[in-house]
This record gives sequence, structure tokens and C-alpha cells, in this order.
Amino acid sequence: MTAATLRPTGRRRRSVRSVTRRLLAEELRLVGRDPFTLGFTLAFPVVAMLVVGGAFGSEPAHGFPINPSHWYIASYVTVMIGATGLVMLPVHVASYRERGVLRRFAAAGFPRWSFAVAEIGLGLAGIAAGVAVLLVVAAPVYGVPAVRAPLPVAVALLAGSLAFVSIGVLLGTLLPSARAAQAVGLLLYVPSLLLGVGGPPTFIMPPGLRTVVEHLPLALVNRAIRDPWLGLGPGTEPLLLVTGLAVVALVLAVRRTRL
Amino acid sequence: MSPTTASLMGDPVVTVRGLTKSYGGRRVVDGLDLDVHAGEVVGILGANGAGKTTAVECLQGLRRPDAGSIEVLGLDPRRHAQKVREQVGSQLQESGLPDRMRVQEAIELFAGTRTADPAKLLEQFGIAHRRRAAFGSLSGGERQRLFLVLALLNRPRLVILDELTQGLDPAARRDVWRAVDRLRRTGVTVLLVTHEVTEAEALCDRVLVMRSGRVVDQGTPTELVARHAGEAVVRFSLPPADDATTAAALQELNRLPEVRALSSSGRTVTVRGNRAVIAHVGAWLTARPAPVPHDLDVVLPDLEAAMLRLLDDNDEEEAL
Repeated sequence: MTAATLRPTGRRRRSVRSVTRRLLAEELRLVGRDPFTLGFTLAFPVVAMLVVGGAFGSEPAHGFPINPSHWYIASYVTVMIGATGLVMLPVHVASYRERGVLRRFAAAGFPRWSFAVAEIGLGLAGIAAGVAVLLVVAAPVYGVPAVRAPLPVAVALLAGSLAFVSIGVLLGTLLPSARAAQAVGLLLYVPSLLLGVGGPPTFIMPPGLRTVVEHLPLALVNRAIRDPWLGLGPGTEPLLLVTGLAVVALVLAVRRTRL
Repeated sequence: MSPTTASLMGDPVVTVRGLTKSYGGRRVVDGLDLDVHAGEVVGILGANGAGKTTAVECLQGLRRPDAGSIEVLGLDPRRHAQKVREQVGSQLQESGLPDRMRVQEAIELFAGTRTADPAKLLEQFGIAHRRRAAFGSLSGGERQRLFLVLALLNRPRLVILDELTQGLDPAARRDVWRAVDRLRRTGVTVLLVTHEVTEAEALCDRVLVMRSGRVVDQGTPTELVARHAGEAVVRFSLPPADDATTAAALQELNRLPEVRALSSSGRTVTVRGNRAVIAHVGAWLTARPAPVPHDLDVVLPDLEAAMLRLLDDNDEEEAL
């Protein structure tokens, strides 16, 4: 066989796209049939947003620069990203590896990046659906705050989602079992959620703790989304850091997850 | 392999020379040579841990060998893993599908550009009625048959079946064996990895016996049996008679062609020889005026005996 015949042809590229598309479609269908995964990923952040969003009322008070409910609606978008990236995906990918599903995909000749790309697509779709549900539920209860700077918010949403979805896929491939993935995922997710995103606001924390907490990766995503959304600042610094994290995590996830 | 056998074979599908693979300093495959020709059903037989699965995983490009050369359908799996996998149908020892994936969805997902008629395959393997069933609800036998369907879906030129019937009940095993037999009749080349001697004996044209990562012998099941367990045993009781008559009968038996050993204990006689001895002793018994003994017992040499002998001999060699 000559090298020329092995070069990816147009037909071959179409085949790679086709396998990835089929894998993604099947993954979306399968997640749709898994009520526990859906429940955790979609319902938990929504319920938590409803509870926490009402705790401080709707008037700027207690040190909040704006309506606290709106503060938490913007923050819980990041919680959705964290739930998908740190809990749902690691467990999902690790269980596939543990049960030999990835070996089967590999042995069937699926293109080596197809699974990683499909899982990243699955994560992004999960976050999009979750955020949509969150906003639909929040709208009649607290109202959805207007997006002050749409472009930075959109970029931050995309970069933050890509970063955490990639981290999730990476954790799933690195950890030895679905149980380990769940334990490690929750260990990363819960403190990130409580300290930097969906718990007490950082401005009530002591300065030393605040500095640490505000630089947690999920907190950076939160600042990159929330600040330009609510007009609290441009969020440029956290956005740059999140974009860097997204690039590194994406490269590592795709390299590590090849079939 | 005899020259006649070689000349009857098709083109080489798998050619392996000096394949070596170690895990953490432990050599799992040690200088394996393997040839599989088009249309053959070749079995790799060996105890657990003999290196069979690692060897075929190297063929599929799922593991990278430390040394040696491999050609599968003219391609090196190390360099063209994906291209090799696209042309090889695989049923892996430890693999699965998501529990909620339906049979039909698995077919759609794994279908490539050269797909065979999936409805026909499902029908052929007796799982057409489970098309809408989730993978998690399939029995062990149904799962194995689905894996066979998936392995054959893209009209592979080579099918690798690793521990095909592990954990199956006898009925499910028989169904799967029938399926492999159908494959043989369609001319597909099959590499069967198993530790079940009966499976190799029933399905394979040629068998390689592996131990500690090495091939200790290979040949057709009949050749292996002849080389390592070629002795048939015929045992029966002579009718009551005086000592002289019994001695004369034993002398006659001892003069029969192919008899290698004869022993007696009381009236019980044990005759050992190659398979032909069964016919000669049978003819001798029916030619006698006495009725054929009711306790006539024949122990045929089989592949299991050959394999046990082969592995025992190698144990002894290693101990020395």
C-alpha cells in the first residue's frame, strides 16, 4: 500500500464526521434515557438556584451590588457547567472504559478522536439544555437579568463549558473506575460550588480566603460569565484565564481519550 | 504444516514473526510466529494467561508490541491501526455496550460503508426478535450473538473471536458454534482465541497451542492428537475360559496390527494403539464365536488429552 492511498481522502473525512455524528446522536439519546444523570445534572442546579436565589430577597442588600436573585441566576449557569463537567462526564466516560465500551469502539475502527469529540459535544449539549431549563424556570420566579455585554458572556460561556467538559472527559479517562470518578468529581465539584460559585458571596469572606476562592477554576468561569452579564465588570482577566484553561484541557482530553 | 495443506490454502491474511510483548518486565508474548490464510478457521488455544489475548490485541492494533513484525491484510497494525480495524471484525474478550443502547441502535452505530444486510444477520443469528431490546436486558448468549453480528456487519475479511463462549450455558454455546460454522461456510477467515479445547476441536481447521507466551505446537486437531495423544484404548472382558484359551486369545490380540501394548488383569484386557487398533480389535471380537463383550469400552484420543500432554511436557521441560 502506498502512502498516497493512506492519506485521508474526502470520503474518509466524511466517514470520520459521520461516525462522530452518529456517536453524538446515540450518546444524546442514551443520556435522555438515564433519569438519574439527567436529574442530577439538570434538576439539582435548578432547585438549588430557586432556594438560594430567594434567600437574600430581590433588593440589593447584605453587600450585594445588585438584585441577589439575579446574582445567583447568573452564578448557577456556572453551577450547571460544573455539574456536567465534574460529575456527569467523568462518571459516564469512566464507566464506558470500565465496561469495555471504549475497547469495542476502538476495535470497530472508529476514528481515534471520534469518542472524545462526541463526549465534548454531549457535554456542551447538556450544558445548553441545562442552562435553558434554568432560565425558563428562573424567569417567572425571579426574572432573568438582562445581559449587559452579550459577546464577552457568550465567549465566557463557551470557553468555560469547553474547559469543564474537557476536564470531565479527561477525569473519566484518568480515573480507574466510575466510582472513583464519582468520588473525585464530587470532591472537586462541591467545594467549588459552595465556595466560589453558588454559596455565600465571596465579598463576605476574609481577604485571604477570598483571594484563594476567587481563583478556583469554576469561580473564574463564574466571574467571566457573571460580571459582564450583570454589568459588574468586563471580566477580561478571568476570561483569559478560562480560555487558557479551555485550550489546555481540550488538547489533553482529546489526546488522552483517543481510541 | 504439510506442503499439501499449504498449497490448498488461500492468500496470507495474518503473518506474524517474532512478536514479543511484556508488561512490567513479565514477558506475556514471547517470539510468536503465526500464519493465517484466507478461508481458514485458526484457533489459538492455551490456559488462562498464556498470552493469547495480548497477541490478538497486537494484531488489532489495540496494543503495541515490543518487538516483531505483524501484517494483517497486508497492513502493519502499528502504523495503520484504524485501517486494519475497519477490515477486521472483532469480538473482544472483555467489552460491552451501554446498557440502554438498543440492538437496532448498536447496528446503526457500528454500520460502516460496506455494511451487510443487518436484518438478515440478526435473523441468521436468532436475535431479530430482540431488535428493540436494550443491551442490558439481553442474556449472555444473546449478547455474544449480537457481538458476532457487529463483528460481521461490515463484511470483514478477517474475524477475531476472543473467548467467544465464555460464561455461556450449553444451549447458548451450541447456538454460537453453529454461527461460527456458518461463517466458515461463507469463506470468512476466522481467528478463534479460546481456552476451551472442545470449542477449538469443533470449530478449527488448525490450532496453535500457546503456553507462557510461546507456541508449543500447531497443526490440525487430528495432527495434534496423533502427535501428543495418539493412543486409543480398548478395554473389555474375555469370557470365562481355562488359562490356555485365555493365553491364546491374548497372543492373538497381541499380533493384531497397530497394537502397541496389551495388558490384562483377571479377565479384563486393555489394548493400546493408534486409532486403527479400534477397528482391528472390533473385527477380532466379532469374528470370534463368543458374543461381543457387554463391557466393551473405547477411549478415543482427543485434543484435550493432546493439550494436557503438551502442556505437561512443557512444564517438565521448564522445571528442568
